[in-house]
Amino acid sequence: MAASISGLLKPWTPRVLLVRWSRYNPYYLEPEVRKEAYSRPESELSAEEKEERELKKLRPIKAATNSTTSSLFNDPVVSKFINMMMKHGEKTLAREIMMQTLENIKRKQVEKYHKATDGQKEGIECNPYAVFHQALENCKPVVALASIQKGGKYYQVPIPVTGNRQRFLAMKWMITECRDNKHRRTHMYEKLSQELLAAFANEGNVIRKKHELHKMAEANRAYAHYRWW
Amino acid sequence: MSLHRLAFRLRPTVTRVRSLHSSGFVQQQEAVAVEPEPESLSVFRTQEKDPACHSDKHVGQFYTLSSAHVRPLFPDSLPWRYQQQMKTFNETCIMVRQPALEVISYLKKADYSQPALRYVFYGLKGTGKTMSLCHTLHFCYTQGWLVLHVPDAHLWVKNCKELLPSSYKSSRFDQPLQATTWLRNFKITNEPFLSKIKLKERYVWTKRESTEAGSSLGELVDQGISRIKSSSDVVGAVMKELRLQSDQPGADFRLAVAVDGVNALWGRSTIKKGDKTAVDPEELTLVYNLRKLMKNDWSGGAVITTLSQTGSLYHPKSAYLPQDLLGERGFDNMDPFIPVSVPNYSEKEFESCYLYYMDRNWLQHPQSRTEEGKKELIFLCNMNPSMFERLCGHL
Repeated sequence: MAASISGLLKPWTPRVLLVRWSRYNPYYLEPEVRKEAYSRPESELSAEEKEERELKKLRPIKAATNSTTSSLFNDPVVSKFINMMMKHGEKTLAREIMMQTLENIKRKQVEKYHKATDGQKEGIECNPYAVFHQALENCKPVVALASIQKGGKYYQVPIPVTGNRQRFLAMKWMITECRDNKHRRTHMYEKLSQELLAAFANEGNVIRKKHELHKMAEANRAYAHYRWW
Repeated sequence: MSLHRLAFRLRPTVTRVRSLHSSGFVQQQEAVAVEPEPESLSVFRTQEKDPACHSDKHVGQFYTLSSAHVRPLFPDSLPWRYQQQMKTFNETCIMVRQPALEVISYLKKADYSQPALRYVFYGLKGTGKTMSLCHTLHFCYTQGWLVLHVPDAHLWVKNCKELLPSSYKSSRFDQPLQATTWLRNFKITNEPFLSKIKLKERYVWTKRESTEAGSSLGELVDQGISRIKSSSDVVGAVMKELRLQSDQPGADFRLAVAVDGVNALWGRSTIKKGDKTAVDPEELTLVYNLRKLMKNDWSGGAVITTLSQTGSLYHPKSAYLPQDLLGERGFDNMDPFIPVSVPNYSEKEFESCYLYYMDRNWLQHPQSRTEEGKKELIFLCNMNPSMFERLCGHL
């Protein structure tokens, strides 16, 4: 769809340049933030990559958001999670909570590692980013239910979930679980680290919610043919 | 560069191997195999546990404090982040740095029949003043000195939950909670001295309670812990006794007074009296008695202090020099003192700290273990020890 529109549009920059908005003309290309992508010499690139580079010289590029950095420690999944946790635009607070969560996870795991015997040491994952990614992977649902109308009635039909929707659901469940179902006086980073470590081990309330959704989808298998896409 | 240092350290082990030559070929092989393993750790660690033996060649290396020393010396008086680090790594390691070594060398050479020398650690925020103070205190403790440690003088001039009018002087105020906590910590730190030191004067607390001259210091401290109302006066009595007795020719102990955040004693306080007027720190018994210890009119010991902007009241964040933080009154009271500047990490010290975190499995992000990651860390923290520690926390 974007290709046909961009075929119609001529090279065009608006009079007022869009800096912070997220709706861009499809003509605009995504920015490449990583340093390694620019340090590769000409010889290493394949034909498609050379074409892409040529295209980038001609097309306008979207402005990078404030939270994307060319730092080696930039992680898009972590950034997305911070954005979802943010309330009232307080990015510094959300980021602080996330960093404290990662530190907390690391502390618990490193403490366990130093007190464990040699045989158990390999099984303990100390990298908080690995724990975070794995926990989110474990929380992602494979099928979800959609309300589809057929013959005057609405049926709950199991449908496959796309990558973005899976990531969104996992993060949303994690955050709401920590906000609502935990003890009032614990800090958010403490609640998050407990829930993430439980999800890493495939236990905890979020994993249970995912399993319940899967069971409901399995129960409604008969209606799966109502899906037309 | 580290390989070069390894080769340098392996030289003494080679001579030891030659002397074993006569005992057999197999044993020689074993000696060569076993010796390099502990040596490879000691690029950033040193096996020297006694602070008195630390010298310039140990600068930048971490030494481990034995837990038998840590628990009595620092009962809850180390910085919070350092306490968490101790718990996570399961060990207590301090880096040997130049400012602490300087003060320790002065303490070794000082003449203790002269009035007490006052050392002040100053520097930007997060450069390691409190840890240098702890290192120096560990030295004093291992030499058998009596340690009088105030972990943070700022806690005595702010957030006071209970303020009682003093029973001794009507214009002063007592802080029973802070005084009892301090007495408890003092008791834990100086167990052996409590029964050895005898009081020279008689102290009367109420009509029925008094401590006679000749009773031990331990009884006085217990009196303060059990009777909370008179605990601030007990603190004053303890300080007075120790000050008077340390310069007697018969005294077999030396007094080390360590105060963190000494600028609080001459600053302003946020404590309010009943009629909402601010309390001057001079009107607080604890501060009044501690100021008397800060004067150099007693001998037989040393005063080691730190300036701190972090907990201070009504000082801007940019202030770190003694003139700015102590103010006029403080500077005149402390003058003359020996100022010791505590700078950020040097290249070697940063490298050492980085290797220590790698060894303890603290740097987990795969990118932080590469060369570019290290350059980025140096750029982000600018060699500041506390910033580096906070950065590595979540990486």
